[in-house]
Amino acid sequence: MKAQTYYEDLKRLARQVRAENGLLLPRVTERDLRNIYARNGIEIDIWPYKFRNLRGAFMDDKFGTTVLLAKGLPQDPMVFTMAHELKHFLTDRHLQVSYCDQSNAHKILEIGAEVFASELLFPDGDFIKHMREMKIGTYQCLPETLVRLKRTTRTTLSYAGLSIKAERLRYARRDSLTKVKTWRKLERAYNLTRQ
Amino acid sequence: MSLTSHVAAQIKELRTSYNHGEGLSQETLANSLGIAANTVSRWETGVYVPSLHDVEKLARFFGVSMMVFIPPEETEEDDDNLKSLLRTARQLDHTDIEELRKYAEFRKARSMYKGKKRPKAGRRSKKR
Repeated sequence: MKAQTYYEDLKRLARQVRAENGLLLPRVTERDLRNIYARNGIEIDIWPYKFRNLRGAFMDDKFGTTVLLAKGLPQDPMVFTMAHELKHFLTDRHLQVSYCDQSNAHKILEIGAEVFASELLFPDGDFIKHMREMKIGTYQCLPETLVRLKRTTRTTLSYAGLSIKAERLRYARRDSLTKVKTWRKLERAYNLTRQ
Repeated sequence: MSLTSHVAAQIKELRTSYNHGEGLSQETLANSLGIAANTVSRWETGVYVPSLHDVEKLARFFGVSMMVFIPPEETEEDDDNLKSLLRTARQLDHTDIEELRKYAEFRKARSMYKGKKRPKAGRRSKKR
């Protein structure tokens, strides 16, 4: 199977999960995901000790079906990690263990988990709809566009996630958003201009 | 050996051989773990088994694996699974691998500690 087909299947699966769980907005909360986990019998362990890079891990064996989450993750990364690990539960259980950090981000299963998580939190279709409403055309999406989008939708998809989506859907040129590191500053600037 | 007697023996052994055989008192251990002194005594006499979180704290305090507190005959068959996990995770930072290993042990221990009698009294309240 081609990678692109695999990713499209995962996006379909993400939309199905959204529909089954009544997730209508691009704001999927930790509580929403906890409810989905509970319905699927997945136990969550917030590990109280520090990890350097690890954000989450999924394990499924005779000791249970569990997701480990690093303690102290901010809201958006926590929600994204939970969505990412949900993909491992839904499609990769045969592997028994998967973990999420920067070292394995290139693997197809891991990219798939990122694609699934991104679609679960903010489906491409909804993103396109919002871009149209904001009258943003091809390569017209600027950092402040995403600040505005995040503010209006209160989406839990992070700026990093929104940037990847905007570039992939050609609303922005490659690297024009994903290399931005000053989202907090932009948010503050945006607040000032609104006052 | 039952889990209760195994844990009891291990705690006593680790406590009395602590710091190259110098040992430490039940009270000192209890203070370090933030629990009442008589709780350690009850663990060591097998009155009750420490909770899973106390076992985790004991393992960290003594610098040993949580598996030390599980009878060896119950852990042997799972060694391959743990090795497989660590092989899978070898790209991780070594401190993360170590924490992941501890988590894997925690899960195992939890499955074995399910339904065991846990202490309810004798805990100190947190200092404010």
